[in-house]
Amino acid sequence: MATDTTTDDGFGQVSRVKGVVFEYLTLAASLLGIVSLAILLSYVSYDAFGLDAAAPAWYVVFLLTLVAPSAGFLWYVRDRSTVRSSISGVLSVILGGTLVALGLVVVLSIIVGPDVWFAHSLFILGPTLALLGYARYVDDSAVWAGTAAGVWLFVGAVLTAIDDLLLVFGQQLASPFDLVTMPEELLLQAAILLGTPGVYFLTVLVPAVVLADRYVASRSNDRRGHSLAVALVLVTFAAVPLVDTVPAVSRGSWLLVVVGFLTPLGVYVALNAADSDSRLGLAFPLVVLAGLFAGRLVVDVLGVARPEPWFDWQLLTSSASATPADAGLYPAIIGSVFIIVLVAVFTVVFGVGAAVFLEEYASSSGPVGKVTRFIQVNISNLAGVPSVVYGLLGLALFLRLLGMGAGTVIVAALTLSLLILPIVIISAQEAIRSVPDDMRQAGYGMGATRWQVIKTVVLPEALPGILTGTILALGRAIGETAPLILIGIASFVTWAPDGVFSRVTAMPMQIYGWAFYPDPGFRHGVVPAGVITLLAVLLAMNSVAIFVRNRYERST
Amino acid sequence: MSKDVTQDPETDSEKLISTDVSTDDADGDVPDESQVRTVIESQDLDVFYGDTQALQSIDLEIPARQVTAMIGPSGCGKSTFLRCINRMNDLIDIARVEGELLFEGKNVYDDDVDPVALRRRIGMVFQHPNPFPKSIYDNVAYGLKIQDKTENLDQKVEQALKRAALWDEVKDRLDESALDLSGGQQQRLCIARAIAVDPEVILMDEPASALDPIATSQIEDLIEELAEEFTVVIVTHNMQQAARISDKTAVFLTGGELVEFGNTNEIFENPESERVEDYITGKFG
Ligand SMILES: Nc1ncnc2c1ncn2[C@@H]1O[C@H](COP(=O)(O)OP(=O)(O)OP(=O)(O)O)[C@@H](O)[C@H]1O
Ligand SMILES: [Mg+2]
Repeated sequence: MATDTTTDDGFGQVSRVKGVVFEYLTLAASLLGIVSLAILLSYVSYDAFGLDAAAPAWYVVFLLTLVAPSAGFLWYVRDRSTVRSSISGVLSVILGGTLVALGLVVVLSIIVGPDVWFAHSLFILGPTLALLGYARYVDDSAVWAGTAAGVWLFVGAVLTAIDDLLLVFGQQLASPFDLVTMPEELLLQAAILLGTPGVYFLTVLVPAVVLADRYVASRSNDRRGHSLAVALVLVTFAAVPLVDTVPAVSRGSWLLVVVGFLTPLGVYVALNAADSDSRLGLAFPLVVLAGLFAGRLVVDVLGVARPEPWFDWQLLTSSASATPADAGLYPAIIGSVFIIVLVAVFTVVFGVGAAVFLEEYASSSGPVGKVTRFIQVNISNLAGVPSVVYGLLGLALFLRLLGMGAGTVIVAALTLSLLILPIVIISAQEAIRSVPDDMRQAGYGMGATRWQVIKTVVLPEALPGILTGTILALGRAIGETAPLILIGIASFVTWAPDGVFSRVTAMPMQIYGWAFYPDPGFRHGVVPAGVITLLAVLLAMNSVAIFVRNRYERST
Repeated sequence: MSKDVTQDPETDSEKLISTDVSTDDADGDVPDESQVRTVIESQDLDVFYGDTQALQSIDLEIPARQVTAMIGPSGCGKSTFLRCINRMNDLIDIARVEGELLFEGKNVYDDDVDPVALRRRIGMVFQHPNPFPKSIYDNVAYGLKIQDKTENLDQKVEQALKRAALWDEVKDRLDESALDLSGGQQQRLCIARAIAVDPEVILMDEPASALDPIATSQIEDLIEELAEEFTVVIVTHNMQQAARISDKTAVFLTGGELVEFGNTNEIFENPESERVEDYITGKFG
């Protein structure tokens, strides 16, 4: 298009009109999508953060302290891909670590409880580690020890599971299991003596710090791992007085935050701190944090009118209430995390299992092939079925047929698992299919059995793809409302669930419920704040998925 | 491996290695027909992919501790024959094998033969280097690990890398990814991976086709050395290569027929059939 005149000695011109029109149409379409999303988000954030109460000076202050430095920083590093990738890496680790810490708190202190966790983990892992340690350090030809460790891992897990079930169903008689599980009783007593922080310190923090140390040591050949381990332990203890001043965070939860949040962050920083470009990227969160503090300080000093956010600590830590100012999402957040942890377990086990079977075992020809293709078509169709239909299925299957309690954690988890199972299967199949056939051939050519090829070649290669697909699907499950309404999830539950059979509410359900409260404070403040919370969780999950995918693409 | 294999008396008499059992040393430079033991023997072997026939009634005897080359135009079934030997064709749904393929006197297509056990005795190196996306060390240790032969693992890995003439280049970077190696190094790594488990036979499907002349000549030297301990069957499109390294040559032609099989020097000096001569001298399409 540079030259419109065709000279006789040129090569002539080829018309590009259609191509150009198409290009601008696609641009317009994507702009429309992005702009409407941005408008929606800013509308919601305006309410959620109560920005109408802020004076214009407040905007100016934060523009100068927060927005301008951050934007300047990003502009400054725009051409340096190492810096950019370390920025996105550290942000993903921060977001993902927050989720992991939250998940740990919910699973270990709310679902399982510290004493049961202590008893179970030591009962199962204690002998296993002892046997492995014996094989490794005392007698490295003791194959039996390795085998015994594997067997105990399984037997111990089955024993504790049976023991738990007997407890749930109120088993009274003395059974042979009581003898086997005697050590468990003793361990329970020990856990009570140790107290919650002691339990987490021994069974979670110490192993995590040791693992982090080993991991860093395996990736870099200096002693950074040790420094990291020492720093983590020091920070853990040094911050205890500070933690004690925050009422919502117990010492036990603090330890889990160290494990779920600070440890991965520390590992990321330790591995990237050597390279100067990566180090610059790591500074970005500090720029943001410094901007926030500086802005706050200036606003305090000048006495500028601030926004009155609905989205605040109080929202995250208090329970449902009929007055907007007291209303909080705490039970809903815990409920959502509880549900999503179970959904993750179910869908990974069944979804990845089904995908492996369909891709690696089921034959593609003959009568079996026909059945496989039939199943395949059905799975693809199921992925497109509206979620309300799954709600109906959950209602019929789990509530009516199996008689489980309406609105309980287990029913919600099973229904949402059914909902995303087809998506997980399809994405896992895609990941497995993308493992080059060369790799399988190499494995079989070495005399590996099918199971060995799957375990040592296919799954390790497909894992990042499987993880990405699963995380995105879990993101969908966490935001679903329609199926929850059908299976009787209440929108007003004042207690966080404490077991799989207790009644529960979830974030989208709670937001849906608030939207119909008569007090306008709900519609104009609490609901947008809830939406922001939900979106923040989704964003964190998606960024973890993207981070995993990027790392994988870079390494191959 | 003892050289004079005494057959299991229960095996069918026609499956015994009736001829060629030798008490003499078999790896002399000039192979003498009467002294060389046959390890692999195909009898009237047909292979079909669905309805199309890829190999037509192949009869072939592959001698122990020698290099046997398979040559022929593209699509004539060389790879197919190679995959028959270690039953890699089982992985192709539509492939069907008729006739017999004897390994150490036993038909590998008998019902009681476990293809996995068979492949542990017959190693394979593929046309394109296909190391696992693991460390160099883990690639070589792979076969040993899946076969639970993990005593002295370090030592065995080192030995395999030395025999594959790769040790000096990688000994300081065993923990690095195998994918960071050059193509020629990757192929030698694949050979090291195959010989680490001490197979009896090594099948190579155009192992040097993706390599430059220097890497190719390294691989050729390696193959000649390997033939002192292993039986090597190699597919190649390179006539000079076949002439240089092999003791026996099998010439396949389009349609999946075996047109000539014999000592390499005889085939290259005065081929019996005109079609083979045309192919060898490059007149053939
Ligand atoms: N997996 C398969 N499915 C169907 N047909 C196949 C398959 N593999 C090979 N064939 C057919 O079998 C015939 C022989 O193929 P093969 O790969 O053995 O040839 P080749 O001699 O190794 O050729 P090249 O030198 O190009 O590697 C060809 O006609 C090919 O189309
Ligand atoms: Mg071929």
